[in-house]
Amino acid sequence: MNHPELTPLLLSLKVAALSTSIVFVSGLLIARFLTRRHFWGKHVLESFLLLPLVLPPTVVGFGLLLLFGKNGIIGKWLTEWFGVQVVFSLTGAVIASVVVSFPLMYQSAAAAFSGIDRRYEDAARTMGASEWRVFWTISFPLAWPGLLAGFVLSFARGLGEFGATLMLAGYIPGKTDTIPVAIYFAVEAGQMDKALFWVIMIVSLGMGTTMWLNWWSRRSVRRFANTK
Amino acid sequence: MLYVDMQKRLPDGVLHARFSAKDEIVVLFGPSGAGKTTMLNCVAGLTNPDAGLIRLGDTVFFDSDSKKALPPQQRNVGYLFQDYALFPHMTVEQNIRYGLKKGTNLRLAELLASVGIDRLLDKYPHQLSGGQKQRVALVRALATEPDILLLDEPLSALDADTRRQCQDELLRLHEMWRIPFLLVTHDLQEAERLGSVILVVQNGQVLPHGPRRSSESSFHAGTAHESS
Amino acid sequence: MQKQLTAILAALCMMWAAGCGAQTSDQQTAPQQPSAKPAETTLMVSAAASLTDALNELKTAFEREHPGVVISYNFGSSGKLASQIEQGAPADVFLSASKQDMDRLEEKQLIVTDTRVDFAKNELVLISSASSPLALSSFEELGDDAVKHLAVGEPTTVPAGRYAKETLEHLKMWDNLSDKLVFASDVRQVLTYVESGNAEAGIVYASDAAISPKVKVIAAAEPEWHNPIDYPAAVIAASRQADTARMFLAFVTSDKGKAIFKQYGFHE
Repeated sequence: MNHPELTPLLLSLKVAALSTSIVFVSGLLIARFLTRRHFWGKHVLESFLLLPLVLPPTVVGFGLLLLFGKNGIIGKWLTEWFGVQVVFSLTGAVIASVVVSFPLMYQSAAAAFSGIDRRYEDAARTMGASEWRVFWTISFPLAWPGLLAGFVLSFARGLGEFGATLMLAGYIPGKTDTIPVAIYFAVEAGQMDKALFWVIMIVSLGMGTTMWLNWWSRRSVRRFANTK
Repeated sequence: MLYVDMQKRLPDGVLHARFSAKDEIVVLFGPSGAGKTTMLNCVAGLTNPDAGLIRLGDTVFFDSDSKKALPPQQRNVGYLFQDYALFPHMTVEQNIRYGLKKGTNLRLAELLASVGIDRLLDKYPHQLSGGQKQRVALVRALATEPDILLLDEPLSALDADTRRQCQDELLRLHEMWRIPFLLVTHDLQEAERLGSVILVVQNGQVLPHGPRRSSESSFHAGTAHESS
Repeated sequence: MQKQLTAILAALCMMWAAGCGAQTSDQQTAPQQPSAKPAETTLMVSAAASLTDALNELKTAFEREHPGVVISYNFGSSGKLASQIEQGAPADVFLSASKQDMDRLEEKQLIVTDTRVDFAKNELVLISSASSPLALSSFEELGDDAVKHLAVGEPTTVPAGRYAKETLEHLKMWDNLSDKLVFASDVRQVLTYVESGNAEAGIVYASDAAISPKVKVIAAAEPEWHNPIDYPAAVIAASRQADTARMFLAFVTSDKGKAIFKQYGFHE
C-alpha cells in the first residue's frame, strides 16, 4: 500500500473492519440484555437506538459533529482525558460508521434472540450452567443465523457510509478519504475514470465479502438447519 | 424431603399449595392453566412464588421471609420439560453430557443402555422419534445427579403403546434413583398408575386424591380460592 | 311532486357549485386580464448555491415586474450544475460561481455566447468563529500552531476552494498548510466547521460570511492573490424560452438586480 492513490482502499478496509467488529459485539450484547427484560420506557429506548436508520446521514453527521467535535460534550472529554481527537480523523470515520450501522445489527440480533425458545435456556440453567455459559453455549449458537445476517448488513452499511463520515471525518486526502468519499469527489470533479475505478473496487469488496460470509454461514448452520 | 408452602398469583386466580414429599412419585394432576407447571417452575427456581417457603432437605430454595431465592443453577434439580427442550444444535451425547458434573461416578453407559438409547449418541434431536426424545431428555435430566426430578407432562405427546412402555421405565428408574419425582399430568389413568401420592390442582387449591402406597408423606388442603 | 322537487334541488345545487367555482377562478385572474387564463411561463434557472438568498429576493422582484413568468431555481455547486447541463438537463439560464464551469459549457457550445455576462463579483475572506479566542489577524498567520485545522472548499470541485488554493499558493503557504487542511464539499460545510469551532479558521466568500452571524471576518484576500472572482451568467443554447431568459438576465444585470446582490455581500 505504498501507492498514495490507493489510500481509500486501505482506509475503507480499516474503517469497515473496526466498525463492524464494534457493532457486532455491542449490538448483540445490548440486544441480548434487553431481550428478556421489560421495563417502562423500553420502547422509547429501542426507538432511540434505531434513530440513525430514519435520519438522513447528513443530519446524523451534524449531530455527531456537535457531540464529538472539539467543543462537543463527548469530544471535549475524549480530548482532555485520552488525548483522542475524533473530528477530522479516521476515528471519526469509524464512529460515523458505527452509529449508522448499529441499528441494523441490533434489530437482527434482537429478533434472533427473542426467537429462541426460552426453555432451552431454562433447561441449561437447571443443569447448572451459569448465565455466561447459557449465553455462550445455548443462546449464541441458536441465534447465530440472525446474528450473521446482522453482521453482513452492518458491514455493508459501514463500507458504503458517506454522509455522516464526510461531516465528521471531513475530506482529507490520504487521511480520511474512504472509498465512498473518493468516489463522490471524483464524480464532482468530472474524473470519471477515477470514479469508475473506485466503484469497481467497492462493489468487488462488498460483494466478495457478503458472498463469502453467506457461503460460510450456510456450511456451519447446516447441522441443525432442519430443526424447528 | 421436599417441603412446599407457596402462594402465587396466576392469570386465572391465586394458587395456594402446601405439601411435602419423600422419595416417592408425587403426581400433580389437574386441568391446564391450574398452575401445575408454575409449581414445577417454582421448585426449579425458574420463577418464584409471591410468598412462601420451598425447601429440599436442609437446603432452602425459597423463603419470602428472609428474601432468599436460590438460583436454579444451585438447586441441583432435574427437569424434564414438556417438549423435552433438547438442544437442537447438539448431538444426543452432547446434550446428555451438558450437565455432567466433573469427577462424577455416574455410570453413563449403564444408564443409557437401561433406557435403550446407547445407539443414538451421534444423532441430532430432529432425527429422533418422540419416544426416543423423551428418553434422551430423561437421561439428560438424571445425568446431572439431581436431588429431585421434575417432569412436566413427559408422556403426553406419545402414542398409547409407547406411553405404557415409558411409564414402566419411569417406575423402574425411580426404583433405581430413590429421589422425589414430581410429575405433572392431566391423564387420570397415568396419575393413578405412576403416583404413590396424587395431588389434585384445581381452582387454586391442591388437594389429595387419596393416598396410595405410601403413607409417609403428609399434605394439607389449600386455603380457599380467591377470585381474581 | 316529491321527485320533481328533488330534481330541482339537485339542479340548483349543481348550478350553485358551478357558480362558486367560476367565481373563484374569476377572482384569481388578474384584474387587467380579460381573457380566461394567462399563459404562464416557467423559467428554469440553474444557479450556484452561494447565490441562494440573493436570488430568492431577486425572484420576488422579477416576478412582480413580469407577471406570467415564474422562476424555478435549481441550486447546486457550479461544477455539478455544469455537468447536469452537459447531460441535457433542462435549464434556460445558468448563473455560475466560477469562470471555469462557464468556459466548459462555452467550449461545448452549450450556451448562447452573446448573452454571456459577468453579473457580480465576490471577495475571498478568512473567517473564524465569532466566539473564537484566537489572536489571528491575517492570512499570513495561518501557519501558527494555534490553528490546527483550516477548512476550505475542495479545490477541484468548489470554486471558493479553488480561489483559496490560489491565494495560499500565492502566499507560498499551500504546501506548509497541507497537514491542517480540511476539504469540504461545499461552502455551507466550511461554515459549519468554523461555527462549531472544529476548524479554527476557514476561507469563504464575503457573501457567505455575511449570512452567518456565528462567524467573524478576520481579513480579506487582496484581489491580486487570486484570479478575479467573477460570476458569469448565460442563456443556455437549448432553451426554448430564450427571449424570457434574456429578459431575466437583463433584470439580473440591471441596477435593481445589482442592488439586491450588494445587499447580500456581493460586489459589482
